[in-house]
Amino acid sequence: MKDLYLVFKNLTRKPLRLFLTVFATFIAFMIFGTLGAFQQALNSGVELSADDRLVTINKINFTQPLPIAYVNRIRALDDIESATHLNWFGGYYQEARNQMGMFAVDPETFLVVYDELLMTDEEKTLWLGNRQGLIAGESIAANFGWKVGDRVPVNSNIFSQRDGSTVWDFDVVAIYTGEDEQTDTNSVYFHYEYFNETQSFGGDNIGFVGIKTDDPSKNESVIKAVDDMFVNSSAETETVPEKAFNKAFLDQIGNLGLILTSVILAAFFVILVIVGNSMILSIRERTGEIGVMKTLGFTSSRIFRMVLSESLLLALLGGTLGIVASGALAEAVNQAPIQLPTLVIGQSIWVQALLFMIGLGLITGIVPATNALRLNIITALSRD
Amino acid sequence: MTGFFSQIWTVIKMNVLSLPQRLWMSLAAVFAVSVVVAVLLAFLAMATGFEETLAGTGADDVAIITRTGSQSEVNSVLSRNTVNLVSTSPGIATNGDGSAVYSAEVYVIVDGIKRSTQNEANIPLRGLSPDGVDLRSSVSMTEGRMFEAGRNEIIVGAGVQRAFEGFEVGQQIRFGKTVWDIVGVFSTGGSAFESELWADAPTVQGQFQRGSSFQTVRVRLSQPGNVEPIREYIANDPQLILDVDTEAGFFASQGKALSGIAIFGWTLSVVMGLGALAGALNTMYTSVASRVREIATLRAIGFNNSSAFFGTLAESLVLSIIGGVLGALFAWLFFDGFSASTLGAGFTQVVFTFELTPALFVNGIVMAVIIGMVGGLFPAWRAARVPVVSAFQGGE
Repeated sequence: MKDLYLVFKNLTRKPLRLFLTVFATFIAFMIFGTLGAFQQALNSGVELSADDRLVTINKINFTQPLPIAYVNRIRALDDIESATHLNWFGGYYQEARNQMGMFAVDPETFLVVYDELLMTDEEKTLWLGNRQGLIAGESIAANFGWKVGDRVPVNSNIFSQRDGSTVWDFDVVAIYTGEDEQTDTNSVYFHYEYFNETQSFGGDNIGFVGIKTDDPSKNESVIKAVDDMFVNSSAETETVPEKAFNKAFLDQIGNLGLILTSVILAAFFVILVIVGNSMILSIRERTGEIGVMKTLGFTSSRIFRMVLSESLLLALLGGTLGIVASGALAEAVNQAPIQLPTLVIGQSIWVQALLFMIGLGLITGIVPATNALRLNIITALSRD
Repeated sequence: MTGFFSQIWTVIKMNVLSLPQRLWMSLAAVFAVSVVVAVLLAFLAMATGFEETLAGTGADDVAIITRTGSQSEVNSVLSRNTVNLVSTSPGIATNGDGSAVYSAEVYVIVDGIKRSTQNEANIPLRGLSPDGVDLRSSVSMTEGRMFEAGRNEIIVGAGVQRAFEGFEVGQQIRFGKTVWDIVGVFSTGGSAFESELWADAPTVQGQFQRGSSFQTVRVRLSQPGNVEPIREYIANDPQLILDVDTEAGFFASQGKALSGIAIFGWTLSVVMGLGALAGALNTMYTSVASRVREIATLRAIGFNNSSAFFGTLAESLVLSIIGGVLGALFAWLFFDGFSASTLGAGFTQVVFTFELTPALFVNGIVMAVIIGMVGGLFPAWRAARVPVVSAFQGGE
């Protein structure tokens, strides 16, 4: 206990230096917390994919259509709980930059296959009964200020109605929430029938099929059965687990993980050098004192522990402040009208951050602590 | 007056030449600044490279015609009839035989395996009409030959070949059920067209069940930059629901897609710069503390206190500029010319190279100078106020 007091006194003897090193550590951990949360949010689409869900796309590319007849043929296969189809609509609200993930779907099967989207049974019935009804995720609804009962016009940058207009009118019948905090609630879904009857070209085609298998262990046999069925047809298919599909989609943007990891590492490397140097310096300045302490009977290992505790305390102080700040930053980003999965400074970030703090404390403390450990009383006291 | 400056100069020289005595603290400051500058320049080089690639793609004397509101080529659909109508518009340049110079084009997205991620990614396959190649400036075949009309033959952009696997000349490639021969590689001097596959338009329509529909029409303007006659012609024909823009304008707006990256790079490096600033301040305060007796002694023998101030400031600036130059050098060595690809506005991969332009280099040095300036200012202030009596006090 007494040692801890000494450690604390040592740490605070030069307030300016303490402030500067804590500040540098704070910055690095704030960057880590924020970018780490960002990386997790990007990956959440992959992490949260259901294991029992498959995606069937046109083998050429997922932007190529499939005939709608495929859906019933897939449903007839074994080991499939349900299959549903989705069409990318290219929807945007009011302005072209308000693009959203908007799909024309078959509501009944859609709600079975994508059961992580939560709404009340009453809302489900309402949607099934209203052909112009759409359901919007809570995040996108908040962005556009949509409420249940609103009638909203939505433009498509791909399709047009038979009269040449690119605007469709919809009733917002429900605002769904996600099963998980990071479930995507930036998407909008509406009736395929409404779409198919009013649009002017490419009828009776769909974008892709979502399949829910009876059990993840059946995935492989279902994949083979589906793709074999359409081999040599005019539209061959490629069926993949949803996780793989989402991963490939994310990869299209680039190797974001690598970029974020490099930046975080660079930030850590910088503070490692700054804090490490500062620790070595402050212990060197105390050489005489350490000599006195050793003369008074402090064992070398006790001094070693004290120096190490000092650097650990420093890292924990700056690091904790940094992560707390990144939590506030994430909250601010979540409130902003940006189509981004929710940023969460959760347990996993805290655990990683704590490990980094301990690592940083040990690495920056080990050299000065060893120097102090080895310090000979005679040399220490004879020094100027 | 000369005495005033020569005093400052003497102290600056003393401080800078004695840097090796404070080697580790000085290196820490240099290193921190260099990392900040390198990170900043890497992101700026990425955004600039992407923007330059798309800016170099569009020509001013070519107009691109799409269905109204489609925003990108892939979303547009034009019927044969529409193409025929719009190609008779005034304002379009003509060939020797009096026919309009235009290319109706099919734009289909296909999959390729991207080398960097080993995952499938979107590549555009463009079906060109006979005038299509001439409508792009500086197309050259770097390998093999041009595709022949009516055959399943493809030529591959140099960028596609760089970023994707399996596009070597002589190889065959399957899109769904159809098999295509790769007969050549083309270059367009680094523009986004190099991220495409090219084939004959009717063949692509046939093999991808596109009937007689196209995505876009490109026309040569009789007057560079002037699309007004075409716009007027479209407005007067209720059958034509089309947008027209110069190709240059069309691609320039797409080049802004990565401007967010530049903002991200700035934000990040300013935040990291604050960390580096803390390091610089630490270094300089330590430097001043270790030179207290020296500074006081100089004052005692008649040096003015500005010399201590400027000496410290100069030391800080020297360190940060060394850091800035090292960081820029690092960014230049590792990122300039680095080839990457990302999803562009056409929902396909755009292959581009990072470009570290001299203007960006200046940005990096400015960043370093600011850190050095602020990081030196406060310690310099302290140095200037060291009392003369410190020269005669022992210890630290």
